[in-house]
Amino acid sequence: MLKKFIFISFITAIFTVPSYTQFGDELRIGGYARNYTGVLTSEGGELSILQNTLNINLSKRGDNIAFRVNPYFYQYFDNEPEIGLREAYLDIYFDNIDLRVGRQQIIWGKADGVFITDVVSPKDMREFLLPDFEEIRMGVTSVKANYYFGMNTVEAVWAPVFTATKMPGEGSIWRPEMDFPVPPQFDHSLSDVKPSVENSEIFLRYSLMSPSADLEFVGGYFWYDDPALHMERELDPATGNITGLTVSPQYHRVSMAGGSFSKPVGRFVLRGEGGYYSGRYFQTTDPAVPDAVVKKNYLHYMAGIDFTIGGVNLSSQFIQEYILDYDAHIQNDEFETTMTFMANKDFFREKLRLELFAYTGFNNEDALIRPKITWDFADAFEVLGGANIFIGEEGRFGQYSDNDMVYIKLKYSF
Amino acid sequence: MKTNNLNAGNTNCKDAGLAYAEPGVINKIFLLATLMFSLGLLSSQNALAQRIGQEIMEKVYHNPSGDDMQGDLTMTLINRQGERRVRELRQYIKDDGEVEKRIMFFLSPADVKGTSFMNWSYTDGSDDDQWIYLPALKRIRRISSDGKSDYFMGSDFTYDDLGERHPDEDNHELTGEETIDGRECWVVESTPKESDYMYSKTVTWVMKDNLLGLKREFYDERGRHLKTLQIKDYDQIDGFWTILETEMKNVQREHTTNMKFTNISINQGLADRMFTERSMMQGI
Repeated sequence: MLKKFIFISFITAIFTVPSYTQFGDELRIGGYARNYTGVLTSEGGELSILQNTLNINLSKRGDNIAFRVNPYFYQYFDNEPEIGLREAYLDIYFDNIDLRVGRQQIIWGKADGVFITDVVSPKDMREFLLPDFEEIRMGVTSVKANYYFGMNTVEAVWAPVFTATKMPGEGSIWRPEMDFPVPPQFDHSLSDVKPSVENSEIFLRYSLMSPSADLEFVGGYFWYDDPALHMERELDPATGNITGLTVSPQYHRVSMAGGSFSKPVGRFVLRGEGGYYSGRYFQTTDPAVPDAVVKKNYLHYMAGIDFTIGGVNLSSQFIQEYILDYDAHIQNDEFETTMTFMANKDFFREKLRLELFAYTGFNNEDALIRPKITWDFADAFEVLGGANIFIGEEGRFGQYSDNDMVYIKLKYSF
Repeated sequence: MKTNNLNAGNTNCKDAGLAYAEPGVINKIFLLATLMFSLGLLSSQNALAQRIGQEIMEKVYHNPSGDDMQGDLTMTLINRQGERRVRELRQYIKDDGEVEKRIMFFLSPADVKGTSFMNWSYTDGSDDDQWIYLPALKRIRRISSDGKSDYFMGSDFTYDDLGERHPDEDNHELTGEETIDGRECWVVESTPKESDYMYSKTVTWVMKDNLLGLKREFYDERGRHLKTLQIKDYDQIDGFWTILETEMKNVQREHTTNMKFTNISINQGLADRMFTERSMMQGI
């Protein structure tokens, strides 16, 4: 039924395109080939990744219609090759309206390196936050309509197919720490969100670009991309100890409203972003809660500043998460505070770039520090060397303290 | 020369005043009158040169260039070994007299293809507004316009070199007239009013017949010759004198950037919608 509905919508959209529409431009082919080799420093030089990538962008554009397909291919030394479509969509342009139908990446917000109101495209977290953001954000199958008036844009997105966050598999060094009192059994029978009109997701955005400031207001009614782990405990009636545990990952609806801005003030650019989530699930240890999850409202916000001193671009962000109506059994802290710092500078006519990006978690005194050096060996060919240094023992970054790595990427764009 | 003479006369006067009271008074009056006359003459000559210099640069600034322009730009970076790197982009410019809106779409090299950059500059001297769209991030980012002294895409042009500097931002003085390649030019020296500007002065050779700058020399903060910009080709397009090829040579670093403009069209009625979020993200 849903497939038929999508098909009818798609056909209707295509046939409402003005009859003079045609693909006038030639087929454009671009993309990159890349080798990415990473070595763990804490394991005596064990390879953490050896990945060869081919990423292709195919596009063609006419006066009123365009399409783009972005297939990718990953080949690993220790895993099966992976092939997929990051994006595959059709664009239809009207006078003041654009329609985009298909698998697409949709990016919202003004924050760097954190996802606050950037809720439309799900994330691929199989290698934590280390891949390029283009690779972290997955395409979402959806219909997007943009209406433009002046410097204003209203955007509506309808996503009939829910896509969850891709998490690291069993045995991956990036699998988050999960503490269970006894080894659990996983029951995935309730993990599926079946594609249907009823289960579809809706997102809305208004944005304004103006000389004084850029503004964005967003809202959405969608499935939270990370599962809540509902637990069923088996207790020994004699001792009351837990003898068995069944974990059932389930996805839940959430509503979100928020906004962001960026404003130039003299030599600075100030940025801010905030989102209010209604009905997010959190893990709890409260024995009175039988399935170990509670539903709470939640705030996530950021204040940031960008500036330049002596040719060095600098940026910092203060990020905080706040669980409203908190109770002490919730596993997350009531407030979780993170800061980010970024510095970069180009040398030798942009042939060489030094960059440092760091996340610092205040709750667990942990951090991720990412220095990088990029050398444009020739036009469209770059060599990038870097390190990922995890500091701390626990927390979002400290849990990976054994995963410090150095890496090199060779990338040729075409 | 006149100043030196006056100084010498003044010194003599002091010495004379000690020995002879009466003649000293006469000498003082005479020399004071001469000094005032000469200073006045010099001052009026300087003022005249400054006024003419200002008028020339205002005429250059207001030289009709159309309300809008679009075209392709090929930028070739040449280092001291003669190695070349090429960047290509398409740009659209619209000027309504108060705001000059410019949007650039990067076409090559492949790693910057799809990037767009938009700049709005204001005739009232307000800070520029700038945005950049990076296709990998799929997001428009507001950037500070503080980096006007940054070099554009690794070239020898700073962002400020690419824009039109308002004549009121500098003090100008006509320093002479020269003929270059058969073109009669005024030579105007411009000194920035702001103390920490990246150039201590610029010298511009302005062609008398079409008011285009044929050549400009840039001097660094220490007053040393830094760069020379030369117009290699120009023509009338759609009725407007238009620069078609320029070359900026950094004489200190022996690096050159050649800019060629092609497929130029002027006053085609560019719509404001070209300078929006939609345009930046869609590209060309």
